[in-house]
Amino acid sequence: MKLSAGREALLKPLQIVIGVVERRQTMPILANVLLVAQDGQLSITATDLEVELVASGEVEVETAGEVTVPGRKLLDICRALPENAPVSISQSGEKVLIRSGRSKFSLTTLPAAEFPSVEDISADEALELPQNTVQRLLDKTHFSMAQQDVRYYLNGLLIETGGKQLRAVATDGHRLALCQVTLDEGSALPEKQVIVPRKGVLELQRLLNGEGTLTMELGTNHIRMQLDGVRFTSKLIDGRFPEYDRVIPKDTSNELLADRALLRGALQRTSILSNEKYRGIRLLIRDGAVLLQAHNPEQEEAEDELEVEYSGEEIEIGFNVTYLLEALSAIDSEQVTLSVLDGNSSCLLRDPGNDDCKYVVMPMRL
Amino acid sequence: MPTASRHILHVDMDAFFASIEQRDNPDLIGKPVVVGGGDNRGVVAAASYEVREFGVRSAMPMREARRRCPDLICVRPQMGKYRTVSADIFTIFREFTPLIEGLSLDEAFLDVTASLSLFGSAADIARAIKKRVHDVTGLTASVGAAENKLVAKIASDLEKPDGLVLVPQDRVRQTLDPLAVQVIPGIGKQTLRRLHQADIRTIGDLRRAPAAALDAIFGRFAQRTRDRASGIDDRPVVSERGDKSISAEETFDTDLTARKILYKKLLQLTERTSGRLRAKSLTAGTVQLKIRQSDFTTCTRQRSLRPPSSGTDTIYHAARELLDVWLREHPDKSIRLLGVGGSNLAQSAQADLFGATPGGAGVDKLVDQIRNKFGSASVGRARSLDNDQIG
Repeated sequence: MKLSAGREALLKPLQIVIGVVERRQTMPILANVLLVAQDGQLSITATDLEVELVASGEVEVETAGEVTVPGRKLLDICRALPENAPVSISQSGEKVLIRSGRSKFSLTTLPAAEFPSVEDISADEALELPQNTVQRLLDKTHFSMAQQDVRYYLNGLLIETGGKQLRAVATDGHRLALCQVTLDEGSALPEKQVIVPRKGVLELQRLLNGEGTLTMELGTNHIRMQLDGVRFTSKLIDGRFPEYDRVIPKDTSNELLADRALLRGALQRTSILSNEKYRGIRLLIRDGAVLLQAHNPEQEEAEDELEVEYSGEEIEIGFNVTYLLEALSAIDSEQVTLSVLDGNSSCLLRDPGNDDCKYVVMPMRL
Repeated sequence: MPTASRHILHVDMDAFFASIEQRDNPDLIGKPVVVGGGDNRGVVAAASYEVREFGVRSAMPMREARRRCPDLICVRPQMGKYRTVSADIFTIFREFTPLIEGLSLDEAFLDVTASLSLFGSAADIARAIKKRVHDVTGLTASVGAAENKLVAKIASDLEKPDGLVLVPQDRVRQTLDPLAVQVIPGIGKQTLRRLHQADIRTIGDLRRAPAAALDAIFGRFAQRTRDRASGIDDRPVVSERGDKSISAEETFDTDLTARKILYKKLLQLTERTSGRLRAKSLTAGTVQLKIRQSDFTTCTRQRSLRPPSSGTDTIYHAARELLDVWLREHPDKSIRLLGVGGSNLAQSAQADLFGATPGGAGVDKLVDQIRNKFGSASVGRARSLDNDQIG
């Protein structure tokens, strides 16, 4: 393999894929990136066996070929070279030589054949979707994913397709976020449900920039998206996601309508003196107002009051304030409705004018 | 914060470690005894009253102690023994109130406000505790009784050893005022030096000191310090006692190797542990697996649970993972004892979204109810049944 390129043509794809390279690997080759030079392109692949990213840059290929080199070192070298410096990369025996001006580097290699890359994911079809649609689905739900939960199927995001709808659901067992998008064009989507692992979701969010389209393929064990010259592939979590629909409250007759920003502000202020670990906050919902209270182990107390539209029974209910705040941050509208039946039932938060996003939060005994 | 008047005791054992050694070895009675590291580089962990006459104090370097009292007898500490005696003492405390804040092995605050109707006045309770402690352990304790922790703690020190000092609210000032300022907790060497420069030597001086002087020395703690000097202290007695861990273990009649049977036993143990967690409304943040081999080699493995849980399935899942790893690392080894425990316990206040799903908390709740009514053998998961229980 031999090629030459401007520094930026190497740096950009390296920066895109490097997040996948774990600092501590189980296999030495996972510290490496796969370089494939052919047809005027250098493609760079990184993987942690769960998520794989492939990005490429335009280079002058003198001799086509493939090899793997330590990813972070290659990135650090490219980053440290002067802007727009010409760089040449060539394989020489077991080493890869990198030259730029009077700088010379020789990196160790491992054979490309040993690099665990994913080729065919056996998907039935590729869907073309607007990037901002996918971005919206992730942004509105990702924060509710579980983290290292023994219920491993919660450590990821459910993506569901069917009819004209694309839906994302995340839950950690205490709260749930759902966002769905109805596509206005194209044919009906296949009926599918996949769980994308947490790390895949976070990497994907880094790639999406809201413009243009992407193609999405759902395979038996993988999800793949191609956008802006980058190919993202993630293993799927093999498990059954809980029947989320059963925990979304259906009886929403007892509703409270509040100004979202004001409610958020009051919650934030009150939360300062809530228990740092459990983050408990008490809401006293009564005619036309909500009273918020929090206290901590030092016996310090905070109280706030907010005018709202409410005319139901008086309800006293406790929550982990973080769950409420994260849901309120994800809702776009000026106003927000909270549906809650009593002090022991879950609370549904949403935009009063739009049912696309739903947030369910379970209460906390205080 | 207006609160109804409280009754707080501070119980402090007299020269605890040294007294235990003297009790257990009559040759040491009446002798200058210290407990601590033997060589000259150690420090004094405890000093008997006899050796205190020479100016020997705890935390003093052993070399210095020997210089002050060349005849001192140094005894190596036996922490295991002190812990056992300490446990006895705290058991006695619990006979009088559940509100106990332990400060160390030999010292605790007791809030006895709610115990007065049962046991008489605070003084009666203090006397009863002293007597019980002496009857059970042969040791003496000094007790201070007051309306708050600060005054109680100061009072317990006033007539040591074997003291009992009551400071009712209307005598707080006259008791505290003549005492040296350093009696107040938190006044260290540096602060003391500055107080002396300002000619503040007694608690009375401190209480009457001009605001400017206190601000300069204590900054934002000036008001709190003046409160302390006036014997004001709202801090509650915080009983942090609670279960540190909950576990169940079983030694088998015959050592086990078959995976199927081990899983079954593991599930039975998990059902016991998780049931006890739920009975106390606790969740475990960590699951421990204890394994003892036929040759008595014992090891524990643990992993964290996120979120903390008391669900049988969740804990079983984690414990089984640990067991699988162990079995992989120790093929063909037979197991004599298994234990499943939960630690990092917390009150489970957060409700669960999927609590009512089949196989989840709904089943656990039902199982708990049935067991409460008909006993622990009445119902369990089919997988946990021993073969001879079937049919």
